[in-house]
Amino acid sequence: MISIAVSSQKGGVGKTTLSINLAHAFARAGVKTLLVDADPQGSVGLSLTRQSRLLAGFYDYLADPGIPLERLIVPTRLETFSLVASGQASDYEAGGGGMGAHLARVRAFLRSVAARGFDLCLIDTAAGLFGVTGDVIASSDAIMIPQQAEPLGIRSVPKLLEGLSRLRVMNPRLSVLGVCLTMVQNDLAESTEAAAALRQLLPPEMVFQTQIPRDGLFVRASARGLPIGVLEDGAGAQAVFDSLRSEIEAKLEPSAARG
Amino acid sequence: MMDPIYPWLDPIEVRRLAEGLMKPHREPPTAVEDAGFDQTFVGYATDRPFSPIAPPSFTPPQPPAVAPPLAPVIAAAVEAANPSIARGSFLDRITRFRDWMRQQFSATGIFILDREGAVIFDESSHGRLHFLARSLALASRRQGASGGNVHVKIGAGATLEVIPVDTAYGCLVLGAVVSDPLSPAHVAAVMDALAQVAAPPN
Repeated sequence: MISIAVSSQKGGVGKTTLSINLAHAFARAGVKTLLVDADPQGSVGLSLTRQSRLLAGFYDYLADPGIPLERLIVPTRLETFSLVASGQASDYEAGGGGMGAHLARVRAFLRSVAARGFDLCLIDTAAGLFGVTGDVIASSDAIMIPQQAEPLGIRSVPKLLEGLSRLRVMNPRLSVLGVCLTMVQNDLAESTEAAAALRQLLPPEMVFQTQIPRDGLFVRASARGLPIGVLEDGAGAQAVFDSLRSEIEAKLEPSAARG
Repeated sequence: MMDPIYPWLDPIEVRRLAEGLMKPHREPPTAVEDAGFDQTFVGYATDRPFSPIAPPSFTPPQPPAVAPPLAPVIAAAVEAANPSIARGSFLDRITRFRDWMRQQFSATGIFILDREGAVIFDESSHGRLHFLARSLALASRRQGASGGNVHVKIGAGATLEVIPVDTAYGCLVLGAVVSDPLSPAHVAAVMDALAQVAAPPN
């Protein structure tokens, strides 16, 4: 099994949208996928299941060693696509303790997911690279970083890289899949210039070729509790996430070969 | 036209960090045989109870019944037990420093690395902890001009405290396994004591 943390230094960069639709793209391709909401705000659950605030979830698993993974998994209409909501343990919303405090439980969670036969565990984390998010990254095989195509976001890149460098000391096998530009507005010069600046700043292999556009379809999909590819007019947007999936698969192949 | 981005950051440093992150990890070769942490060691807390393997002659001291004394008392303790006051050979001073660490903080697995990462003193041969300590010390130094202490949980009730100390012979990295992270006052006392241990004769 491969575990991928979807994380960013800044909030509001489209992590949840990317996580939901990318997980759906993998599941559509036959990859048995578990999407985990590790954001205490519970955005994945709120987007895809209306009862998410009633479900036990990831943070309950961290808090209670007695909860089996089976109780947390929410199946979807797509057989290969399952969810774990963030859960009820609301005390984590205040910060949830220091880094390393939940590492053992996070790793136990991932071992259980692998034992249950999932091929991919995609984890949508809270913003920032500390606390439980840090523990998730320090336990995952790979990380991808959504980055909003706007100047303020690009200026946060050094802090992001420093944070990732620290986490890689703790998890040396962590594979950095790269930065994915999100909310790109091709009709706005500031957005396209920020995207170009990021590509110039970072090594080419660190920035995904695929860019996620800002699109009203995402809002509509979220309102209906669906991945965008399920909408009648969502085929174009689904193609974007299929392209991103292909890029990730290509990046993971050399890692898998290295063992 | 948007504000230029580059005045806000150092492109060369950003590129260096980014390229470092994209390099696949290679395990560094090590000649030190790990005695205490085998393949099951994950670097942090595990589901299993932490049980460091100590040399046969070393019995870990019992945790103190009361919390370690606060800053003014620590200063007095350093003075009373200061390993540098009665000078002897470097090994004698380091040994007294180790005993003091055990007595004051119930520290185990104490080791000291030099600025090149070579082992100066080690009572446990925890090679993997050496690598972790060196990496953490380096990472902490990147954040600012002088490195502070770093600690990381390595097991249930066990924390690796890493304290870089500037001495006349360069930076030494002290590693010690303690039950709880040391307070800033305790860290300052340890840094002071180790600096004196490593100070050249007057």
